Amino acid sequence: MIYKIVHRSTYKYKYPVSVGNHVTCLKPRSSMHQKLVQMELDIQPPPAMSTERVDFFGNRLNFFTVQELHKELVVEARSEVVLREQHATLWPKPGPAWEEVARALPWDHSHAGLDAYQFAFESPRIRIRQEFAAYALESFTPLRPLPEALLDLTKRINRDFHFDSKVTNVRTPPEEVFRKRRGVCQDFAHVQIACLRSINLAARYVSGYLRTFQRPGQPRLIGADASHAWVSVYCPESGWLDVDPTNDVVPSDGHVTLAWGRDYGDVSPLHGLALGGGAHTLKVAVDMEPIGVG
Amino acid sequence: MSVDLDQTPLRYGATYDELSADGVNPREHWTHLMESLRAIGPEELSRRWNRAERRIRENGITYNIYSDPLGANRPWRIDLVPLLISPDEWRFIEQGIIQRAQLLNVILEDLYGLQELVTNGHFPAALLYANPAFLRPLVGVKVPPQSYLHMLAIDLARSPDGQWWVLADRTQAPAGSGYALENRTIVSDVLPDLFRTSNVLRLAPFFRAQREALIQLAGGGNPRIVLLTPGPHNETYFEHSYIARYLGFTLVEGADLTVRDRAVFLKTVDGLEKVDVILRRVDDSFCDPLELRSESLLGVPGLVDAVAAGNVKVANALGSGLIETAALMPFLPGLSRHLLDEELKLPSVATWWCGQTPALDWVLNHLDSVVVKPAFPTRGMEPVFGAEIPQAEKSKFAEQMRTRPYEYVAQEQIALSTAPVWENGHLIPRSVVLRTYVLNTGNGWIALPGGLTRVAESEGPIVSMQRGGHSKDAWVLWDGPVDTFSMLRPRSEPVELHRVAPAVPSSVADNVFWLGRYVERAENIARIVRSLIPRVRRADEAELGCLIRMHNCLESRHSKLPKVKKRQPTLRELEQELVSVVSNVKRPDSLAATLAEVSRVGGNVRERLSADMNYLISQLRDSIQVEHGNQFLEYPATLTRCLELLSAFSGMERENINRGSGWLFMSIGRRLERAIYLTRQLREVTTPLCEQDWSFLECLLEVADSSVSYRTRYFTTLQPLAVLDLLMADEMNPRSLDFQLRHLADLYRKLPRHMDDDLRAMQDAVARLGSFDLRTIEYPMPGSAAGEAHGFDGLSRLEKFLRELEYLLPSWSNNLSSRYFSHARTLPITVGQ
Repeated sequence: MIYKIVHRSTYKYKYPVSVGNHVTCLKPRSSMHQKLVQMELDIQPPPAMSTERVDFFGNRLNFFTVQELHKELVVEARSEVVLREQHATLWPKPGPAWEEVARALPWDHSHAGLDAYQFAFESPRIRIRQEFAAYALESFTPLRPLPEALLDLTKRINRDFHFDSKVTNVRTPPEEVFRKRRGVCQDFAHVQIACLRSINLAARYVSGYLRTFQRPGQPRLIGADASHAWVSVYCPESGWLDVDPTNDVVPSDGHVTLAWGRDYGDVSPLHGLALGGGAHTLKVAVDMEPIGVG
Repeated sequence: MSVDLDQTPLRYGATYDELSADGVNPREHWTHLMESLRAIGPEELSRRWNRAERRIRENGITYNIYSDPLGANRPWRIDLVPLLISPDEWRFIEQGIIQRAQLLNVILEDLYGLQELVTNGHFPAALLYANPAFLRPLVGVKVPPQSYLHMLAIDLARSPDGQWWVLADRTQAPAGSGYALENRTIVSDVLPDLFRTSNVLRLAPFFRAQREALIQLAGGGNPRIVLLTPGPHNETYFEHSYIARYLGFTLVEGADLTVRDRAVFLKTVDGLEKVDVILRRVDDSFCDPLELRSESLLGVPGLVDAVAAGNVKVANALGSGLIETAALMPFLPGLSRHLLDEELKLPSVATWWCGQTPALDWVLNHLDSVVVKPAFPTRGMEPVFGAEIPQAEKSKFAEQMRTRPYEYVAQEQIALSTAPVWENGHLIPRSVVLRTYVLNTGNGWIALPGGLTRVAESEGPIVSMQRGGHSKDAWVLWDGPVDTFSMLRPRSEPVELHRVAPAVPSSVADNVFWLGRYVERAENIARIVRSLIPRVRRADEAELGCLIRMHNCLESRHSKLPKVKKRQPTLRELEQELVSVVSNVKRPDSLAATLAEVSRVGGNVRERLSADMNYLISQLRDSIQVEHGNQFLEYPATLTRCLELLSAFSGMERENINRGSGWLFMSIGRRLERAIYLTRQLREVTTPLCEQDWSFLECLLEVADSSVSYRTRYFTTLQPLAVLDLLMADEMNPRSLDFQLRHLADLYRKLPRHMDDDLRAMQDAVARLGSFDLRTIEYPMPGSAAGEAHGFDGLSRLEKFLRELEYLLPSWSNNLSSRYFSHARTLPITVGQ
């Protein structure tokens, strides 16, 4: 599938901003399943400085500084991406028992192993807690193969948690989401990661998009028209397995991956600091449109 | 107090006694000191020590203690007896800490670079990944070779067998070297003969090397080096300003800096100036709210990117806090063999990192003999003494450790050695920890000879500045020649002469501007109240009106007096009001509150003021405290003392400060403030005075310190117009309005980046002021009761002019602020996180 994605963020400030330093994480990654054809970033007012850096996780960040007085900042990222299908059918069958994966992780000094291991620890927004472990262990029963247990956990989170955009914000800790059983895709991803890390598995946070237009005969998925988030879990030999707890699906050719990190904080699409400004509002519009079959 | 130093009990027991091996005779390297103290005698020592303590207070040497209910700014507590270190012992320590510094530097370089130590298993991956101080944005960011650590502190303790152990490494922004320097100054002052005859290794060469190392880090030349402080509320702020002044760096807070085009700039009154090196006292993760902790208000947004672009150097490099964890300690011997091909010379205190199963098992089996601490102190867990955990809770604690074992370290407790402390005429043994410092000169490492000796508050093993302990100087007694270099007395190096000082940071200009205003404001309040007090006690009802008029000139918004329209206040009420104007700190318009502001803004720029000026500011703060008796009657004398100090301050301002931008803003502040209240006072005369209020003129002359000038011109006849002439139009009188306005215009002409509109307005005001011919103005005379009806045109025009000026003057102050200071210390808002 070929997609054209337009992601537009608009900040409106109460008072003029004299200097704004910002970072975007809006450039889709390239991988086995995903090819970035092109991407352009349009910033208004035009920044005095704009530079790209690859972060620790391999995401492409853009740093820019707006130095002219402004009361509105518009950042529009337009990208074109080719997606190949990646179904759960490609997952290992049945795959290793989850305890084995957890036990082996600290001893795997291969590049891939070390890269995965770092996602087994607490991160700024995600704590390891007994309550998360207990919830996870209902799916991760003794010697159950990791893929199967993972799908089960995904299904349970999808079932037990209600999508509700009114109860949480970008800073709500997973503990609170877990207690309220409500939240948005970011919260579900955080909770699932917390569950997985609490039983010593490596799980990372994936930021991306979901196709806007539903396929005939299939329900429209939640999380379109905005940026989306899901979870990826490390399973040796087969690599990273993606699951989307918000929709209880395995991402296939409808999920475009922007970036991954330990939690939302590593990959927030756009953040920054403004001198002046005062109260402000943010409006985000995302449009992901299939423009052809790749 | 009878004291016999010979009979001071020297304990010998379970701890190592620095002073004596057998509990009776001092060790060899202590004998000279003990003899010398004995020769001076306890009485003389006490006298000297009292002088020193006074000096500590006067110099404003403080250490803010977070938990102190009495508030910040506790005086620094130091002990008069230095810790003595013999030459051989120092050689051993020096080698050990230098080797450790080299090792830690190489480890950091690897962990932020290729991470070979992790892939080859020399450094546990979990210890890296679980550590919140591992700053991922800094991985792969190039810094000059061998430069992660510019300076580090290593805490040492001595166990009962005399062996030195490392307790902790401070690798990101080590504190205390400035206090060590200050301790040296004080102790060598108290014991000058002993210091001179002891051949003590000097500290100054270390600081010279530090300055040179930072210049070299910048790539040479005449770089702009700033010391980044979290601000006056930080516990070691005194030291930040002390070091900045000593090394000649600009003291800045995060908001003084801004990143443009991937480079760091200092906001100055001349515009933005590029910064080459940041010596930071802000912790790693707080340094850049854009890429590190977004909630930090202490850092500079975009700093990491500027570092990555190679446009600024930070010392210590961002991310250096990674290796402060005690969990690293058990791996150092192996890392030393692997990386340096050497055995580790100085052992660390026995430490187990629970992230490895054998260590965890050992710790859980020996819980009673260890203290368990968080491996990563940002988690905020207090150390737990295993032996103190009730038996019933041990398994729960063990379970908690097993959940995330890598979050814990366990350490053996060392019985700290003791050193003698001078207390109430006795020498008493107290536990000590020696904080040593190692500097990367870019061309090898050097150690600060000695360091900061921290002393336990009372008997017992806990040594902590945060908990209110105190400190000692440490003398390395040397057996070779000693370099007596002083920072202010450079050796034979050629000096490039500079006439132009680097531009003044906007925040400094802001503070000195307000210092000028507050000092002047304090003087005005003090003068008005001093002139009122004796009159209030003497006054009859008729004179009361004139006193109220004088009080009104204070424009006091927080006055407790009833509004005149309702009823005339009583003398008693006026008396209470004046007491409150002087001493009520909670009233922003009181003298006490104004002096507190003087102290606050002065404190913000203490590194820019001479020691004498800082001293005056601290004296001013305490000058109006009346402890005993009737406050009201004490006040005239107290206020006179306060005015003396204020005069001393303005004398220094005129005679001792270089006429750079800093002085310019202070003088503008003073002139503006004086013009503001003078205009207000003059308006009291141009709103015609009725007969019984004419004594107001006498008050006014007194407040303006112009009584003598008046009397020599007019003898004793008080005439409103004559007073107006002297206080408004006389350009020779430094207290006249004309004088203020002309001077303001002169000062404005010197401002960088002119303020043309306001300058023109000032010149216009001077011209208009000159256009009033007081000889042609008629003033309503006593007896001509129908005065107002007559239309005293000249007088009302003058009144109108003064009213306009009352509006203009604060607007000039505001314009100046928004032009030069507004961007100073404005904090950015976070968007999107």
